[in-house]
Amino acid sequence: MSILKCDNLIMQFGGLTAVNHFSFEIKAGAIKGLIGPNGAGKTTVFNMITGNYKPTSGRVLFFNEEITGLKPHKIVSRGMARTFQNIRLFTNLSVLENVMVGFHHKIKYKLYETVLRLPRFGAEEEKMRQMCISLLDRVGLKDKINLKANELPYGEQRKVEIARALATGPKLLLLDEPAAGMNPQETTDLMYFISEIRDKFDLTVLLIEHDMKFVMGLCENVTVLDHGEKIAEGKPVDVQKDKRVITAYLGESYA
Amino acid sequence: MNFSEVIQQLVNGISLGSLYGLVAIGYTMVYGVLRLINFAHGDIMMVGTYMAFFGVSAFLLPWWASFIFAMVLAALLGVVIDKVAYKPLRSASRISSLITAIGVSFLLENLFLVLFGGVPKAFPIPKLFAGSLNIGGVILPFVSIFAPVLGIVFLLILLQLLHHTKYGMAMRALSLDIETTRIMGVNVDAVISLVFAIGSALAAAGGILWSLKYPSINPLMGILPGLKAFAAAVLGGIGDVTGAAIGGFIIGVSEILIVAIFPELAGYKDAFAFLLLILVLLFKPTGIMGKDLGGRF
Amino acid sequence: MNKKRNSLLTIASIVALFLFLWYASAHFNKYSIRILNDIAIFMMLAVSYNLINGVTGQFSLEPNGFTAIGAYVSSLLTLTAAQKHAMFIIVPMIHPLDTLHLPFLAALIVGGLVTALVGFILAFPVFRVRGDYLAIVTLGFGLVIRVFSNNAISVTNGPLGLKGIGAYTNLWWSWGWAVFSLIVIMRLVNSGYGRAMKAIRDDEDAAIAMGINSFKIKMIAFVTSAFFEGVAGGLLAHLITTISPTLFTFFLTFNLLIIIVVGGLGSMTGTVIATVMVVWGSELLRVVDQPMHLFSFTIPGVPGMRMILFSVLLIVIMLFAREGIMGQKEFSWNGFLNFLRHRKQK
Repeated sequence: MSILKCDNLIMQFGGLTAVNHFSFEIKAGAIKGLIGPNGAGKTTVFNMITGNYKPTSGRVLFFNEEITGLKPHKIVSRGMARTFQNIRLFTNLSVLENVMVGFHHKIKYKLYETVLRLPRFGAEEEKMRQMCISLLDRVGLKDKINLKANELPYGEQRKVEIARALATGPKLLLLDEPAAGMNPQETTDLMYFISEIRDKFDLTVLLIEHDMKFVMGLCENVTVLDHGEKIAEGKPVDVQKDKRVITAYLGESYA
Repeated sequence: MNFSEVIQQLVNGISLGSLYGLVAIGYTMVYGVLRLINFAHGDIMMVGTYMAFFGVSAFLLPWWASFIFAMVLAALLGVVIDKVAYKPLRSASRISSLITAIGVSFLLENLFLVLFGGVPKAFPIPKLFAGSLNIGGVILPFVSIFAPVLGIVFLLILLQLLHHTKYGMAMRALSLDIETTRIMGVNVDAVISLVFAIGSALAAAGGILWSLKYPSINPLMGILPGLKAFAAAVLGGIGDVTGAAIGGFIIGVSEILIVAIFPELAGYKDAFAFLLLILVLLFKPTGIMGKDLGGRF
Repeated sequence: MNKKRNSLLTIASIVALFLFLWYASAHFNKYSIRILNDIAIFMMLAVSYNLINGVTGQFSLEPNGFTAIGAYVSSLLTLTAAQKHAMFIIVPMIHPLDTLHLPFLAALIVGGLVTALVGFILAFPVFRVRGDYLAIVTLGFGLVIRVFSNNAISVTNGPLGLKGIGAYTNLWWSWGWAVFSLIVIMRLVNSGYGRAMKAIRDDEDAAIAMGINSFKIKMIAFVTSAFFEGVAGGLLAHLITTISPTLFTFFLTFNLLIIIVVGGLGSMTGTVIATVMVVWGSELLRVVDQPMHLFSFTIPGVPGMRMILFSVLLIVIMLFAREGIMGQKEFSWNGFLNFLRHRKQK
């Protein structure tokens, strides 16, 4: 079943065409990679999918329903969450509070129940707390839940960010360069981690990455962008040998 | 209103508009580069005007020397304010810079209140500007001609600078992406200082022209024109220099015409720019020149 | 179990506060009572102001304008028709406002609600758009309110203002509302709504990416602040009994800004502490405006020096001690008791 479908997306900024006629599909349960040289338009594609950019033309379909141009926070409630290339945690909140923010759109209590501290408020808050603690437990951070987010080492901050995205209850998880800034050990850990959560949480994953080992090891399927256009798609081992891909990354002489 | 009265008011409006435009340019440039609303900008206009006043009355300089003196001092003041109060907070949260800017604004106002008193002083008008032309029943004070002409001259010079010099290109690059510009080897701090210097000098020019028209100066004179100038900058498209000038003209002309056509609304004229600001935010937040300064992805 | 203990401690503190106020109202002189009232009203204003600025991170300059609205609306409602008829000498007050009359509490609440509505209308175009326009819009609005109250003579009596407003505000009203607003706002902050506000403050784009409707959350913060600021304005009007368009100057907003910065942006505890410090300190600093006598020298007073000191103070704090007294921390009974235990052990 196709979870996400991009249909002929075009993104133009003034005179510049950042993404040109981009189409692809992601099947349920897949871990798909979106790669390409710097400036190829990968994050732009992400932003069109998540609703941060309104495509100049084209459609984005999520579970076969059109979400093109919907407000980002609405798309989250439909089951999509993302992380950012440079980890964007809420620096003044604790690790637990960060993850609880992910849960926000599912909160059932209303404003008046909050102010009057009616029973539903306390019950929901406790339920939310327990869920988020258990999420953090699963990523191995249970003993750090009350630390301020920016007090953790980089690799763990990335895990918090992912836990936060998981708290939104997504079906599709978009990871923008999750291994950025990590050493080889952290990178390997992350690979296993993502594979695990895909299974444990019944997810589909789309990730942007530059680390080729990471992509080869983790993704079952890869789409290659260059200068805003899709130039190759398929299994990592095949794409790796594709002439156009090699040219895009290394230049003609290596093809 | 008959034809000559309309022309008269239009001239008044254009002259007023050029004042707003000159101040608006400074706002828009600083916002474009730093995403900071320099609340102290209107007060820099005030300080520049006082400097011109002292230049003529205390130092007995000829009027043109005094104006240049004032513009230079204002430029210096703008640079100093940035270096002392804004630069240390560049990496802090946005609200920190805004709060500091309000602090600087308040400080300037009260400093001048304490130093020079709240009683308005009479700005000395050079004999050259005292007269007026009479064209077919329309009275054109020399000031009303001089102001927009000077404003347009400054605008054109600035546009030249922005589009045909490397400093201008650096400024435009900064407004798009500070970090990348820095990596490209541009001395970002120097360019930011230049932005503050130019904006402040133009604000001083605007203030001086304002005083030629309304020759009563006081330490709080920058507040209202400052706000209206910011509205003008937003109306024209925040970040765009030509837009700021256009926005200034629109607000100036509208203010004058509204009072001319509906004299009973005269008391409300200061609210008009504010109303315009709200309308712009409601219907076309990117303003006339339509630059979208974008979110952060 | 801890929760029960904490609730009891909180209730006990509030009771202690009111016992103190009871004592004060019977034994303190007029000047001290006035200061206590000022502290309460400023606390209410500062806590509201901190909600939109410190907790939600939206720089706003609304208090003087919103306080004015609440002051005018509630006063116009508590003044009797006869009083209004006597006062509006330039232009008679328009109907039906001239005969409308409400008791004090209702007038305060209506004042708050009107202010909340105005806040909503004002923030609507601003929050829909990304950008730092809230500050300028609210700053301009403060001026517009002055223009309006000066010119809409049939509604506000123009520059003459309103006199003879009932002196209904006493320590119970002011502190009662201060405690009430603090409780409501703290409950808001300690909830999913509060976390969402702080998330928006820390990184709005990331907050939106996590499903937060930032327009709605910002609006909740702003309208809540507006409501309480309106009520505080009403309390103020019924304390000083005379209001006019020139009363609600930017200096009021500036004072509140200093309070929330000194206390720690985002910390309600800090705001409470800082309010006491700043209101009291401001009174003490009045001496700087007056001539001072030191032995046989007289240092001439410099009116306006206070304002200069305040602005320098604000700038210095922003440059060197941005966190303020409490930073982001809040008071908690657990923390306080632990602190006492450690002191005991030493």
